Amino acid sequence: MSGLGSLTAVADWRSWAVLRRNALVFLRNWRTAIIPPAMEPVIFFVAFSIGVGRYVEDLSYRGVDINYATYVAAGLIAYTGFGTPYYEALYSAYVRMFYQKTWDGILATQVELPNVVWGEILWGAVRGMVNISLVSCVVALFDLLGVVDVKVQFLVIMPFLGFIAGCAFASFALIFTALVPAIDHMNYPVFLIGWPLSLVSNTFFPIEPESTAMWALMQINPVYQLAECARGLLVLGNPGPHLLGLLASTALFLIPCTLLSVRLTRRRVLGD
Amino acid sequence: MKTPILEARGLTKSYGNRVVVDHLDLSCKPGTVLGLLGPNGAGKTTTLRMLYGFVPPDDGSIYYAGERFSDNRARAKRSIGVCTQEDSLDYDFTVAQNLLIYASYFRPRVENLEGRVAELLDRFELAQYADASPHVLSGGFVRRLLIARSIVHRPTVLFLDEPTTGLDPSARLDVWELIDRMRADGLAIVLTTHYMDEAERLSDELLVIHEGRRVAHGEPHHVIDTVLGDHVIIVPRGEPAREEIAAWLQARGAEQVATVLGELRVPVSKEDLAELTARFTKATWQVRPPNLDDLFIALARRNGRFE
Repeated sequence: MSGLGSLTAVADWRSWAVLRRNALVFLRNWRTAIIPPAMEPVIFFVAFSIGVGRYVEDLSYRGVDINYATYVAAGLIAYTGFGTPYYEALYSAYVRMFYQKTWDGILATQVELPNVVWGEILWGAVRGMVNISLVSCVVALFDLLGVVDVKVQFLVIMPFLGFIAGCAFASFALIFTALVPAIDHMNYPVFLIGWPLSLVSNTFFPIEPESTAMWALMQINPVYQLAECARGLLVLGNPGPHLLGLLASTALFLIPCTLLSVRLTRRRVLGD
Repeated sequence: MKTPILEARGLTKSYGNRVVVDHLDLSCKPGTVLGLLGPNGAGKTTTLRMLYGFVPPDDGSIYYAGERFSDNRARAKRSIGVCTQEDSLDYDFTVAQNLLIYASYFRPRVENLEGRVAELLDRFELAQYADASPHVLSGGFVRRLLIARSIVHRPTVLFLDEPTTGLDPSARLDVWELIDRMRADGLAIVLTTHYMDEAERLSDELLVIHEGRRVAHGEPHHVIDTVLGDHVIIVPRGEPAREEIAAWLQARGAEQVATVLGELRVPVSKEDLAELTARFTKATWQVRPPNLDDLFIALARRNGRFE
């Protein structure tokens, strides 16, 4: 399959068959699959907004003063939108590929390798949607309690924004999934890439870029764009330039990462 | 005479500078079993992986029902079933769900899927485990499920990669029966195995590969005759003339002198056996017809594994 074929495989029924398989497993195990991972951002939110937030003064966001909890609400949505597909495509996909040999079984059918890669990308993004939905519910609850002040109606859009960016994050993670020799080596993409990226993206604190290079790097970072897009919508009801930024940075990540993932996975799984 | 449903011509594959499969031709007809044999590293696995589309050949063509594989991979893959050696069952699903989910990876969809799953569960004696996790299955039943899964979409060609490796003798015989029934149903089956008795009993045709090339091809007895000759003599460990006999045979061009647990095993022609008997009148040895084990050992020895 050509490079273009690898990209257009997203529209192929076979990619969605892989997504369906993962979704069915998720539905079978939904209690363990939803509750523990969804608790993490909730705990973060409580710790940052109610704990740290008491010691932080209001911030100015695009000319509007907001409390720290409101700032963090959007950041947490971005953090969830990044972390869920990223870790899903790292750990769960690795388990399916290496330990369970699920991919080997699937590849012995009409499904081709780019379909498996796309199935995992789409599934990571869907998992991101699910967890963002849960976080959005928590934010809505805190809005009701007066802890945050957000435009609640825009919370409905958050899972969809997360899905778009989630495709980029999952495709990025699959590169490491194809490369790491053993699951222990996942510590590298988790601690050296995942954590720093989720912190320097205007998620939990604002960053003022001091150079043009830094500013440019931030613009191509989908986590930053997701955080700012979510914040713009939740605080002002307007994403500003960040919706376009999110789409562009997602495309910038997704296309090369998917092509590279397919190439590396082909070598890893098919030995070619 | 049946037309082959699977044909491969001039299959070639290299990894780096090493040619793993070298201009290999093969074919398989409906209702027959083609046994693909060769020692480790002969190129069997790479050949299979090319045939079911895991890796593209560097050269050569593969045809399913007369249509070139690369022209319409999806259609070709709809017509083939693959049972790999490794256990790739989906342990997130039950036994019956494994068949259902596997069928979902094929288009056109499997007709009357529920009925097909029930039929396979029954035929492979898996019905009692239908709602259980594959974790509860013994090795033999795992293999049954793997084979059942590989034919859930009613393929016309089935690849079985070492289907009885690791099974106890009883489970092996059960799998043999299943293979025999699938052949009777008209499936074209490509089988690889390390068990020579299995290859001999199940295969209608054998294709012996060595260093990626075809060494022999045809019905099992024809293949054995071609590669080994008429007889195998076994000179016991304690025979005083053992070394002398080996030297004499090698001087006459015998290449396949193997030593197994101190015994000398040498394929010989009728003429050589007559001369040997006349020359070494006091020596003792056994004579038996050659079998695929001898062939395998001879090939492995050529490959350097016994040296």
